[in-house]
Amino acid sequence: MEPKIGVYVCHCGSNIAGIVDVEKVAEFAKTLPAVVVARDYKFMCSDPGQDLIKNDIREKGVNRVVVASCSPQMHEPTFRRAVQEAGLNPYYFEMANIREHCSWVTENPKEATEKAKALVSAAVRRVFYHQPLESKEMPVHPATMVVGGGIAGIQAALEIANSGHKVYLVEREPSIGGHMMQLDKTFPTLDCSACILTPKMSMVGAHPDIELLTYSEVDYVSGYVGNFRVKIRKKARYVDDTKCNGCGTCMTKCPVKVDSEFDERLSKRKAIYTPFAQAVPNVTVIDREHCTYFLKGKCRACEKFCERNAVDFQQEDQILDIEVGNIILTTGYQLFDPTPLKEYGYGRLDNVITSLEFERMVNSAGPTTGHILLKNGQEPKSIALIHCVGSRDEKYHTYCSRVCCMYAMKFAHLLKEHVHGAEVYEFYIDIRSFGKGYEEFYNRVQREGTVFFRGRPGEVTDVALTPEEKGKLIVQFEDTLVGKQRRLPVEMVVLCSGLEAHKDALDVAHTFNISIGKDHFFTEKHPKLDPVATMTDGIFIAGCCQGPKDIPDTVAQASAAAARVLALIDKGKVEIEADTAFIDEAKCSGCRVCNLLCPYSAITFIEKDKVSRVNEALCKGCGTCVAGCPSGAITHRHFTNEQINAELEGILV
Amino acid sequence: METKLKPDFLNEVASIPACDKINECIQCGVCSGSCTTAEHWEYPPRKIIAMIRAGMKDEVLNSSSIWYCVSCYLCTARCPRDIKPANIMHALEAIALKENYKPPTKTTTMYRSFARSIEQNGRIYEFGFMLEYFLKTNPFAALKMLPMAFSLLTHKRMPLLPKAVEGRHELNRMFRNIATGGYR
Repeated sequence: MEPKIGVYVCHCGSNIAGIVDVEKVAEFAKTLPAVVVARDYKFMCSDPGQDLIKNDIREKGVNRVVVASCSPQMHEPTFRRAVQEAGLNPYYFEMANIREHCSWVTENPKEATEKAKALVSAAVRRVFYHQPLESKEMPVHPATMVVGGGIAGIQAALEIANSGHKVYLVEREPSIGGHMMQLDKTFPTLDCSACILTPKMSMVGAHPDIELLTYSEVDYVSGYVGNFRVKIRKKARYVDDTKCNGCGTCMTKCPVKVDSEFDERLSKRKAIYTPFAQAVPNVTVIDREHCTYFLKGKCRACEKFCERNAVDFQQEDQILDIEVGNIILTTGYQLFDPTPLKEYGYGRLDNVITSLEFERMVNSAGPTTGHILLKNGQEPKSIALIHCVGSRDEKYHTYCSRVCCMYAMKFAHLLKEHVHGAEVYEFYIDIRSFGKGYEEFYNRVQREGTVFFRGRPGEVTDVALTPEEKGKLIVQFEDTLVGKQRRLPVEMVVLCSGLEAHKDALDVAHTFNISIGKDHFFTEKHPKLDPVATMTDGIFIAGCCQGPKDIPDTVAQASAAAARVLALIDKGKVEIEADTAFIDEAKCSGCRVCNLLCPYSAITFIEKDKVSRVNEALCKGCGTCVAGCPSGAITHRHFTNEQINAELEGILV
Repeated sequence: METKLKPDFLNEVASIPACDKINECIQCGVCSGSCTTAEHWEYPPRKIIAMIRAGMKDEVLNSSSIWYCVSCYLCTARCPRDIKPANIMHALEAIALKENYKPPTKTTTMYRSFARSIEQNGRIYEFGFMLEYFLKTNPFAALKMLPMAFSLLTHKRMPLLPKAVEGRHELNRMFRNIATGGYR
C-alpha cells in the first residue's frame, strides 16, 4: 500500500493561528513527499474537523494522517479514534505539536511559522514509516486496595465494597479514623466529628467485603492497571487480633506511661494501647519502643492479666501478597509544625498551642474533658487565634491551606460556648470562607462578638512593657485597617497552622510510581478534568494527599475515585498501549542487561532459549532497554530507528 | 492636603533591583507589626507600600516615616512574600534626596555629615561628624551631649583629631563608582 498522507493544520482559535501562519504551513505541507491533501481548519478536534479527516480517508484514499495542533496528551486519542472510525489502523496517525512547542512559546510570527513547518515536515516523514499496531486487552482484577484509613479512605472503601467488590483497606496506625477522629466539631454545621465518623468506621470494621489491614504498610507494588501485585507488611502488634476482644484489662495493668500521639501529647497512654476508645479494630497493640519487656526483658503484666491469652511477644512482621486491579491513595496530611516561626514562641512560651492541640482540648473525650485550660489549670479569659501560620509564606508553604480560616472561626465559636465571657481575637490576612454555608458561619461568629483584626502579628512575646501586660502573652501587630501598631495582651494564643504533605509522601510516590508536586502533594492527571486520577493508570488519589481540603471536598473526592475504580471493574478489561518493546531473539546474546534496566520488571530471561523476552502487558514503552541493548536486538514499536531517523531528517531538512 | 497621584511611582520603585517584589505584597502587616520604631511612623511600612502602589509619591517622600527605619530587618526576616520592606525604605530615601524632597527630619543632615566624614577620612570621625551635625541642626542640642563626649574623651574612645585610613582616595573612587549619588 503506497502511503498517501493527509496533513491537517489546526488554528486552535487564535491559540495557534494568532502567531503561526497556518495557511502557509498547509501550503508548505502540500509540497512534501507523499502528501496528497493538506488543509487548515479552525478546530480540528471538533466534529466537523474530524469529519475532514474521515472524508479524505474515504474519498481521497488518504492512508496516513498528520494533525498539526496541540500536545498529544489530550487529543491523540481523539484523532486516533477518528482515523480508526474511517477504517484505518489508529497507528497510521502522527501529531505535530505546534501549540505548546511552537505558538505558545515563540513570539516572532515568522520564526513560529518556520518552526511549525519543520515540525510538520518531521511528522510527515515519520508517518511514512508507521506500521499498523494492535493494542491488547487485559482483564481487570475486581479487588481494590485503598491506602490510608482516614475519612477519604473510609469513604472510598465503603463506596466500592457496597457494590459487592472486595477492598483491602491498609492503614499504618493501629486504628482507622485519621485526623477527622481528632477533631471536635466540624464547620460550618458544627456536627460532632466523632459522632458522624464512628458509624462509618464500624461499618468498615464489619463489612464482609472489606479486609481491614491496620498497623500495616505497603512495601512494594508491581504490575499495571487491572493487575497490580502488592506486598503489604503487617507489622507485629504483639497481640493476636483473632483473640483480643478489646476489654482493656491489659491497658489498666500496663505500668508504662507514654505521651499519647492521638491527644497531641497532652495526655498519657500505656505501652499496650488502643489510640482511642472507639478504635476500629478494637485490638490493642504493644509499643515496642516503650514496653518494659522489650526494653528490659521482664514485666509481661499484660500477658498475665489477659483472659484470652491474646498477648504474643513472639509475633513477627507478616508479609501479605495480594492482587488488586486498582489502587486508591488516601494518605492524608500532617499539621505544619510552627516551631520554626520563632517569633510566635511555640515550644518556648507556655499557652502558645497548635490548632490540633486545641481540638483535643476542646473535645469532651479529650485530655481535659472539653475544658480549655492554661498551663496553670485556669480557664483563659482572652484568646488570640493567629491565621496563616506556615501557609501563604514563601519561607514555609506558599499555598493557602484552605481550611484554617474556617477552623479558626469554629474555634472562636467553641470558645464563646465553652468559656463564659471569653474575649476572642482573630488575626487574619484575608478571610477565605468559600464553601456552602461558610460565609454565613463567618457572619455568625462576628455576631457572637469575636473581634477580627486584619493583620498578621509580628510577634508573640511575654516581655511586658506596661503593668496590664504583666503575666500575659502580648500579641504585637498592626491593625492594618486603622494603620496603627498595637500590643494586645491575651492569656492564650492558638497558632492556626496549615496542612502540609506527609513527611514520607515522596517515598509513597516512589512506591506507587506517581508524580508529586514541589510541595509534595500528589499530582493529579489533570487539575480540572481528571482530578482524582494520576499519570499512572489504575492509581487514584483522594483527600489531603492531593492538596489541603476540608471534609466535604475530601468525601466528594473519595467517592469520585471510587466511581472511577468501579467503572474499570465494571468494564472488566483495560486496553494496553501497543507501543511496546520486542526482542529479536536471533540477535539477543542473552547478556540480560535489559532485565536489570527495565523499571517495570517487564523483561525476563528465558533459561531454556538463552534469550530475554518482554512481557507486553507489563511493558510501558519507555524505551530504556532499546537504548541499553549492546546487540541492538530490541525494537520499540512505533519508535523504530527508521521512524526516528525520518523524523530527525524532517526537522533538519 | 490633596496632591496629584503619580501612577508611575510604583514602576519607578519596582524597577530598583532590591525592590522588585513590591507588586507581590499582600498587605498582611507583619512588617508594621514587627517594626521596632513603628510608634514614630506617620505611615507604617505596610501603608508606605500601599501608598507607593496608589502613586502617592509626594505624600510618601515628604513624610518623615521612611527615615525612622533603623535597618533592624525584622520586617524583611518575617515578610511572607519576601518583599524586603527595609530595602524599599532605603531606596525611597535615596529617591527623596535625589529629587530634592524636603521631609521634616534631621536624619538627612545626619546621613550627609556621616557620609562626608567617611569621604574625608575613610572611616568615621565621631567628633567632627557630630560637630557638623549639631552645627547644621541645633547647636544648643550639643550641650546635652557634653557629659557623654567628656566620658568618651577621658576613656580615649573618641580622638579629638581625625585619623585617615590609607588609600582613602581609592575608597572614594569606589563610592563614586557605586554612584547612587543619593547622599550629596
